[in-house]
Amino acid sequence: MLLSALIFLPLIFAVVIAFCPKDKIVQPLALIFSGLLFVLSMLMLFNFDPNTAAIQFTEKADWIPQLGIKYFVGIDGISLWLVILSNFLLPLVIIGSAKSVTTKIRSFYSALFILQSSMVGSFLALDLILFYIFFESSLIPMAMMIGIWGGDKKIYASFKFFIYTMLGSVFMLASIICLMLLNKTVTGTLSSDVLELYKMDIAFIDGRLFSTQTLLFLGFAIAFAIKVPMFPVHTWLPDAHVQAPTPGSVILAGVMLKMGTYGFMRFAIPLFPEASTHLSWVFSFLAVIGIIYGALVAMVQTDIKKLVAYSSVSHMGYIILGLFAFNEIGMTGGLYQMLNHGLSTGALFFLVGMIYDRTHTREISAYGGLAKILPLYSIFFLVVTFSSIAVPLTNGFVGEFYILMGTFLSNPVWGALAVTGVILGATYMLWMVKKVFFGEENLGLLEHKLLDLKKSEYMVLVPIVIMIFWMGLFPGHFLQYSQKSISNLTENLTNYELTLYNQNNDSNELISQKQNNF
Amino acid sequence: MITTLFYILFLSPILGFAINGINFRKSNGTIAGIIGTSAVLVSFVAGLLLFKEMLSVENKVLTVQFFNWLSVGSFNAPASFLMDPISGIMTLIITGVGSLIHIFSAGYMSHDPRPFKYFSYLNLFIFNMLLLVLGDNLLVTFVGWEGVGLCSYLLIGFWFSDEKKAAAGMKAFITNRVGDAGLLIGIFILFSQLGTVNYSELNQYATSLSLESGWFGPITLAMIFLFIGVAGKSAQIPLYVWLPDAMAGPTPVSALIHAATMVTAGVYLLIRLSPVLVLAPNAMMIIAVVGAMTALLGALIGITQWDIKKILAYSTVSQLGYMILGVGVGAFIPAFFHLMTHAFFKALMFLGSGSVIHSMHEEQDIRKMGGLAKLMPITHLTFFIGWLAIIGLPPFSGFFSKDEILFYAYASKSSSVLLWLVGVIGAGCTAYYMTRLMCLTFWGESRVSDDVHPHESPISMTLPLIVLALLAAFAGLLGIPHVISEVLPGHPPNVLEHLLKPYIAKISKHEVSVSGEWLLMLISVLVAISMAVLSYMIYVKKSFDIEAMTKKVSFAHKLSYNKFFVDEFYFARIINPIVLASKALWLHIDVMFIDKITYYVTDVIRTGGTHNKSLQNGNFQSYAFYMAVGIASFLIMVFAF
Repeated sequence: MLLSALIFLPLIFAVVIAFCPKDKIVQPLALIFSGLLFVLSMLMLFNFDPNTAAIQFTEKADWIPQLGIKYFVGIDGISLWLVILSNFLLPLVIIGSAKSVTTKIRSFYSALFILQSSMVGSFLALDLILFYIFFESSLIPMAMMIGIWGGDKKIYASFKFFIYTMLGSVFMLASIICLMLLNKTVTGTLSSDVLELYKMDIAFIDGRLFSTQTLLFLGFAIAFAIKVPMFPVHTWLPDAHVQAPTPGSVILAGVMLKMGTYGFMRFAIPLFPEASTHLSWVFSFLAVIGIIYGALVAMVQTDIKKLVAYSSVSHMGYIILGLFAFNEIGMTGGLYQMLNHGLSTGALFFLVGMIYDRTHTREISAYGGLAKILPLYSIFFLVVTFSSIAVPLTNGFVGEFYILMGTFLSNPVWGALAVTGVILGATYMLWMVKKVFFGEENLGLLEHKLLDLKKSEYMVLVPIVIMIFWMGLFPGHFLQYSQKSISNLTENLTNYELTLYNQNNDSNELISQKQNNF
Repeated sequence: MITTLFYILFLSPILGFAINGINFRKSNGTIAGIIGTSAVLVSFVAGLLLFKEMLSVENKVLTVQFFNWLSVGSFNAPASFLMDPISGIMTLIITGVGSLIHIFSAGYMSHDPRPFKYFSYLNLFIFNMLLLVLGDNLLVTFVGWEGVGLCSYLLIGFWFSDEKKAAAGMKAFITNRVGDAGLLIGIFILFSQLGTVNYSELNQYATSLSLESGWFGPITLAMIFLFIGVAGKSAQIPLYVWLPDAMAGPTPVSALIHAATMVTAGVYLLIRLSPVLVLAPNAMMIIAVVGAMTALLGALIGITQWDIKKILAYSTVSQLGYMILGVGVGAFIPAFFHLMTHAFFKALMFLGSGSVIHSMHEEQDIRKMGGLAKLMPITHLTFFIGWLAIIGLPPFSGFFSKDEILFYAYASKSSSVLLWLVGVIGAGCTAYYMTRLMCLTFWGESRVSDDVHPHESPISMTLPLIVLALLAAFAGLLGIPHVISEVLPGHPPNVLEHLLKPYIAKISKHEVSVSGEWLLMLISVLVAISMAVLSYMIYVKKSFDIEAMTKKVSFAHKLSYNKFFVDEFYFARIINPIVLASKALWLHIDVMFIDKITYYVTDVIRTGGTHNKSLQNGNFQSYAFYMAVGIASFLIMVFAF
């Protein structure tokens, strides 16, 4: 019930908010709801058994039995942290929205909760059709957020975002259907249960450009690559980010992009192991291009938000690179970097939003000497910058290091090329920091009578900064939950299997193990 | 007990950082100074006690693990620390010289509006530097490595309202990042070859490997990449360019970070890995050549500069070159020795220059100084001792350490006479430009403008100078070479060699006779003295017309004065093209190419579809409707099969 609660409570909340009689209490109400969801996700974490790769908290029910489609959700060490990440960011986003969203408040918070429901749903779904529906339905609230509460070119950006992702999903849908039919020819029954489909042996002919498995893999991969987004299908991202309101940008960068990388990890790679290993060079290559290209292009941006958006392209490239290293170190790094990117880029969008609310400009040239005017804001910005450029003892370093190490061990050339991203990343971020925060105070800024951070802004930033250092100092606290799942994936890639966790069995043993952990 | 001491060692500066950091808005310099200084002093005492403990243990090694930091699959890098004589001496240098510089800072920064921020950064630096040297594996060292870079960035750009200073900080960080990228690759190769990043394991496994004669052996490559990192941090060609610019920071910072401690981290790392390094003679050759060239380049540029801090900065580049040369020719102990003596005499001279700049009201041009010896007697006297040490006059510390490096450059089997010659020429230049600095600053007639009234600095600034001067004068006695101790009464032992020998790789040398060794020593001392005298004749006695001489070699002078145009070259040939290319990439690939295709595709969808208009009006009900239609048609399709 816990997982269903995490998926469907937000929907109920969305309805409640939509019918909320007073605008004034909408935001506090939403905050309470999101707090409740966060508590639920913590409850899930505390009851999660880290000593197994099996699927836990399983819920399974027939949905469309004629097609073998089930309502099947469950969680393992890979999806666990992504679900927690989205439930962690939601309250912060709601706190941060109080100032930046002033029109159509009810619709906004409703959309936010619908979005939450579909994102958490796609992290938890273990039935392909169910996953597809969640994956797709997240588009609508996000497109609404950009299109209704966005900037001057909001319709264009929203449309571009929608078309791009929709186009990719079409290929995935086709692949899903073929996969189900293929499974039917083997087992005789239709099923979209991913645990069943993992067991399937799909024809793969090495050396041929397109075998069945390769084509099916590409169908999934295109959808996920657009979502990530990987070079060269990334151009929707800068527009979407620049036009989106701050909360939209945070959710988009913080959680939504991870649906793509998660999709690779959960579906594309384990369903089609031969095809994905065979084509790993293509993805590593595009990831490396993305890392370098994203960083270079970020370097010449004049809009802070666009710079952060392009830095996302670069950072997401790292994640893909880590996943396609196909070893434990790289995959662990990839997963960790998903969380890191969610925190640090999310925080950067928050920070950009905070200063935009004060000055109504995002042009780098309009700033200068901000460190003197807003010292506290600047400290937070700098700390998050250090996390983003992977300074050791922040979370960013752990993820980036694992990814680079894992990549280097599987292919030194990609590893060595990707290391240049470490230099470029520091270059564009510090260049921006220098222009915005250092130097003489910009006279235009002084006219605004800027005030330093407010209480509500602390409430957004402090939790993230705490996590940045916690995750940088004690990565083991987090990764111990995922270790089993990841080693199961990397060690048994070609005959990958997930079992269901038997909650009654060994419960005593579990308790004793848990005690040992403390 | 040992664990507690380790905790105190690390947590004391972190506590100082936190306390000063929280109060960053306040402006009472005295309190900030007291907090900052005592934090480092406590650390120093803990370091001393640990050092004593370590000496009393049989194998002279203390290890302690705080917690499990990085661990995945076969990769393991716990937060564990190692104190042996190498890291022990480094710890004492860092906290000892660090304390003195903190005390000096209390006086120097007394009028600054943000002293709390300054001292909190300084304490954070000490913490990171301790991580760097005490780390038990490459990863903990890397944390400190990047951490000190970060503090350096913050402190160089401490007066960030001046965009030039902020830019200098950025340049330092990014240049170091280039090195760090190399260091990372080096770590990756070492791990992939030896399966560990732990120092003792690496050095132990290395003994079972055979010597690599080629250029592309894994260890050779690992060491070359590692050296890129070293070149970044220890300011070697081609990555030294950040160090002179780093002088934009407060002068005590230059003394602590950019002379005594951080910049020597690369030398430390190579010495730490010496058993692995000696397996790669080709890598050592590269290191030696780069070191010698850097030593010469720094000295050549130092000859023509007018800014007192810039001269000292290039001198640091040059001296670091000597240490790297030492490592490259296998003179690990002498290189470490020079690291130590240099920490004393260069910190002394930087603080001395700080004392001068302070009393000259931020004037740094030595053309506007002169005759300060009478006005600032303590600063002059201590600086004088530093000068004796750096030009290598016996029995001052620099003589012993530099001379031993030069001796190895001559005698080591992996070296050549050419390297020795370059080293001696560099030493001659050093004597020349340091004497020039002394003459123009302290001696001769005064050229100080009338509105400036130089005066001796307060006790908080002169006291550190006196202590450092004593160290600069006598530290050399810790490593008296064998030939000299033979003729001395009581045959004083080479303490340093005795301590370090078991932890450092041995290297084979050519046999050099005792008289040969004396001769080498005599040559370098004579070169130094004659160059110093020449410089004195030019700048104080005015026996030669320097203007006319400069005109004769105007091309060479121009090269040296403009630092061989290296910055200009980097800017025109590397940075500018990258920026231009990035702009082109963005405009041509993102905006023109990919988006054009996107438009085209959407255009096809629009004109091809029947409900063309509704698709682009941002009407989301219709999108939802299309999706529902899509899902329905899919269900029908599946049913049909």
